[in-house]
Amino acid sequence: MLCLQLAPGLVKASDYAARIDYAELQHTDHGYTVQTHIDYRLSPTAKEALHKGVRLTWEVTIELRQPGVLWDTRIHNRKLTYSLQFHALLNQYVVQTPFDRSEMFLTLSAAMNFMAAVHDSTPIPAELLSADKPYLLAVKTQFNRELLPIPLRPVAYLDNRWFLSSVWYTWPIQK
Amino acid sequence: MAYSKIKLPASATIILLFGFVLLSLQLMSSATQESSELGEMYSWLLVINTLGSVILLGLVAFNAYSLVRELKKKEAGSRLTTRMVSLFVLLALAPAAIVFYFSVQFLHQGIDSWFNVEIDRAMDDALELSQSSLNQRMTWHIKQTKQMADQLRDKSEALIAMEVGSLWADSGALEIAVFSNQGRVLASSSVNPSDILPHLPDEQIWLLLRQNKEYFAFDPGDNDEMLVRIIVAIEADQSRFLQVLFPIPVRVTDLADSIEFAFIRYQEMNFLRDSLKTSFSLILLLVLLLSLLAAIWVAFISIRNIVAPVKELVKGTQAVADGDYQQQLPVMNQDDLGFLVESFNQMTRRIARSRDETRAAGLEVENQRAYLETILANLTAGVISFDAAFYIRTANQAAYRILHIPVSHFVGETLPTLATMHSELADVLNAIQSLLEKADDIWEQRIVFLGPNGRQELLCRGTPLFSQHGARTGAVVVFDDVTDLIQAQKNAAWGEVARRLAHEIKNPLTPIQLSAERLQHKLSKELQDGSAEFLQRGTRTIVQQVEAMKRMVDDFSEYARPSKKQVEKINLVDLILEVMALYLPSGIIFSTAFASDRVLVEADPVSLRQVLHNLIKNAQEATTAPCRIEIKIAKVSRNNTDYVELGIYDNGNGLNAEQLETIFDPYVTSKAKGTGLGLAIVKKIVEEHGGVIWVDTSYNGGAGFLLQLPVFEFGNFK
Repeated sequence: MLCLQLAPGLVKASDYAARIDYAELQHTDHGYTVQTHIDYRLSPTAKEALHKGVRLTWEVTIELRQPGVLWDTRIHNRKLTYSLQFHALLNQYVVQTPFDRSEMFLTLSAAMNFMAAVHDSTPIPAELLSADKPYLLAVKTQFNRELLPIPLRPVAYLDNRWFLSSVWYTWPIQK
Repeated sequence: MAYSKIKLPASATIILLFGFVLLSLQLMSSATQESSELGEMYSWLLVINTLGSVILLGLVAFNAYSLVRELKKKEAGSRLTTRMVSLFVLLALAPAAIVFYFSVQFLHQGIDSWFNVEIDRAMDDALELSQSSLNQRMTWHIKQTKQMADQLRDKSEALIAMEVGSLWADSGALEIAVFSNQGRVLASSSVNPSDILPHLPDEQIWLLLRQNKEYFAFDPGDNDEMLVRIIVAIEADQSRFLQVLFPIPVRVTDLADSIEFAFIRYQEMNFLRDSLKTSFSLILLLVLLLSLLAAIWVAFISIRNIVAPVKELVKGTQAVADGDYQQQLPVMNQDDLGFLVESFNQMTRRIARSRDETRAAGLEVENQRAYLETILANLTAGVISFDAAFYIRTANQAAYRILHIPVSHFVGETLPTLATMHSELADVLNAIQSLLEKADDIWEQRIVFLGPNGRQELLCRGTPLFSQHGARTGAVVVFDDVTDLIQAQKNAAWGEVARRLAHEIKNPLTPIQLSAERLQHKLSKELQDGSAEFLQRGTRTIVQQVEAMKRMVDDFSEYARPSKKQVEKINLVDLILEVMALYLPSGIIFSTAFASDRVLVEADPVSLRQVLHNLIKNAQEATTAPCRIEIKIAKVSRNNTDYVELGIYDNGNGLNAEQLETIFDPYVTSKAKGTGLGLAIVKKIVEEHGGVIWVDTSYNGGAGFLLQLPVFEFGNFK
């Protein structure tokens, strides 16, 4: 289980795995902020579970790395948790943002689009980055199976229709 | 004490293992509860239990593999272990499988019973009712909002700002706001005066608004309250919009939330129905597997412990069957098996003791047999034993020495068979066989025969053997070569005769001779010529005969007197050539065949010369035609001693059977002038030198004598 969580790329690539379209650093007065766009794809099983009231949770991990000879050095790490739930009474989709805010959407695509556009407004201090060194911006989103209902968890680890996580995507950046 | 030291860790391990298994299962069971804090650990617990099952499966598989290997090797106790383990697995598996099957059935039926059509419909209806209630409220608020929009239509921004406040007060709304299609707020009024800016629509709402010209939806408000957001266009050209936020009563919100929660919960449970079944079945299967595998593994250990004494017993029994009676098995428990092991140990001790006693008795018998064999082997008398059918069973060394055939090599043969292979012994062997067959009691018989060394006389004594029931089981024949003994007795008798002759006859001869000479001396002068001549002839005859008798008595004395040998090393070849030279003038034709020209013997040369003289003279006197004498010298070995064999063969008349028996006796002669002492003296001298002489009966061209003397050095062969 741990291996699957740590290395999703080791398992067979799922048709429903999320993809990171792009990620970039934006310079602000207080430092750098990260903006990324994630393409979430829900399998029919996941959609059915969502409409039956199952909350789906993703954890977007953003890392700033400094490439090394043997391994990269992580100099900044941030995790943003998004969860998606269907509100049957209102027939709307509720997105719980990492900033303790709930957003309601009339359509699933609207909710997914909202989740797709990640803008981490928490700035990365500019002192962490040197001008003369290369850096990597690494982003991945991890579908959290452990927050699924207990009976669903074993299946979620074995059924690739529940493989909704992305692998690590990296972009080189230069200050 | 040692036993408990060994067993305690194993038991502790088993108890710990079971404790861990139970704890893990309990934790996993608790984790399935929705409210449990262990829910986060569910997957880990599932993995741990699965790993435990795999490890236990590995242990069971390893034990099963070991058992199969032991079975293939036919190791002791493996079959009993297999049988017990199979029985245990069968007994454990059957009820466990039944319990598992019915548990799964009950579980599935229990889960299915949670859901039915009525509840489905009720939940849908409840949700629909909630939605209808809210929609009705929504419809009313839409209508209300549209009326407010109508009141504001075609009015200036200043008028709108003035009327918004009264509209808000009349409507009971939380917030009323008028904004342009660019999003600019023209007027607003709120229940909360601190709200400077109204709750403006976001991009999504704007999108829908531009598409539908109006927007209405439920919005989550602050503090878990629910709002109705309604936006309608004030003018037909959509240049201005009126947004009104109506509150939903708290009670209504709570009821709607409750229904929504129950509906969602029910929907989720319904969706997870199959997963629930799978999950619970999986847990049940894990419980079964863990319990069963742990039980089987413990069964392997326990059964091995139980079978261990039996295994030792089987090994011990095999060892005893192979003849190892020193087996002592450790008594592990004071139970029935321990009693069995102790009994086994007692049995092996007794068997070992009996074996030792039997071995000692056998050894004693063997020693006795060896002792008897040694005695028999060292007996001078030959001993041959026979079975009931007169087949030879044993024969000692003396039998070989006396008969000159290795009788012991013919064990299992009969005497007639032996006689056919050794024709020279046919007479004596057939005679013994005849006596054996006839005799019912101890018998004794002297048997004379011509052996390879001349005439031999055996004193045979036979004893038939009978069993306790009187049946004949065989016979023993003891025989001795009494030839030399008889000869010695004869020699002693002749010596006594000679001594007496010398004493009784020689003594009166001298006075007889002197008296005769005196008679002639006194009377020859007084008698007439005729009478004197008669007297002279008479006295001369008396003197001559007396001289002859004296010589004869001297010869006897010489024969009877123990010789005084002057032993020295002489070359027999030289001595023979020297003696031959003396006889050459007499016309004897000699031929020689000497194996060596240097044959040293330790002997008295005078005696040995007399032997040669006697033998040559004997041959000369026995031959009428021109005498031819052949002399042979060869080397022979007998009883680990080297001998020189001297053969003297003539071309005379030879010897008949009667002469053969007495040829070496004194006073035995076929010659008119012979005293009959020549060959007797020869034999006496030869025997005094440790040799033997006999007539070579295989020679038919005349008489042949073979004599053997111990040789000191036999030179190289020519």
